[in-house]
Amino acid sequence: MGTKHKIGAVIVSHGQLANELLAAAETVIGDLDNIVAVSIGWHDNVEAAKDEIQRAINSVSQGAGVLLMTDMFGGTPTNISAMFLEDGKVEIVTGVNLPMVVKFATHGDDSSLSEIAREVEEQGKQSIYRTASLFEPAKLKKDA
Amino acid sequence: MLEGEVRIINQLGLHARAAAQLVKLSACYASCLTLRRPDTSAEANAKSMLDILTLAAPVNSVLLLFAEGEDEAAAFESIRELFASGFGEI
Repeated sequence: MGTKHKIGAVIVSHGQLANELLAAAETVIGDLDNIVAVSIGWHDNVEAAKDEIQRAINSVSQGAGVLLMTDMFGGTPTNISAMFLEDGKVEIVTGVNLPMVVKFATHGDDSSLSEIAREVEEQGKQSIYRTASLFEPAKLKKDA
Repeated sequence: MLEGEVRIINQLGLHARAAAQLVKLSACYASCLTLRRPDTSAEANAKSMLDILTLAAPVNSVLLLFAEGEDEAAAFESIRELFASGFGEI
């Protein structure tokens, strides 16, 4: 077997959120050449946005699949991204946050697209804390 | 297996960029590298940035470092040095 193909990722959001999430992740981890950001303008038409996502997918696709991380379930970026959903080729995880981008960027090369999509989904959910709860040990133990 | 304490001396604590540096260094070694709070309430794989962040370790806190594997001595020493350098933030 030759060089392993990397799974690619596209962050798709309203406004500049996608660009800034990617910039923040790169500040922490370093350059991420298999992730790109697409920011859907508030007034972009659907066809233009669809074309932009298609170009982004093509730019990171190496044949191992592409994960689309979108900002909000039910929002336009997610709804347009959903048109690209294809078993084994394109997966979507919604509600993107910085830990999810970091998770994707630091995953091992052995995972399949569906595995990494599940891991990213799980990481996103696990990364949300009501910080005050960390100082309530009794309640934490009860939940554990 | 080697075991010892490391102290966080940089003002920002074990934050994202510091954790990323730690991961980069840990990944250079084959050994299994673990950080644990002394009260055992949290433990992290030193090769996983998101794991490290869950330690929520502020300045002046102490963590236990465990290194196990063929290059454990070198790994242990270089990670100790990274903490002692304050992740280059001092």
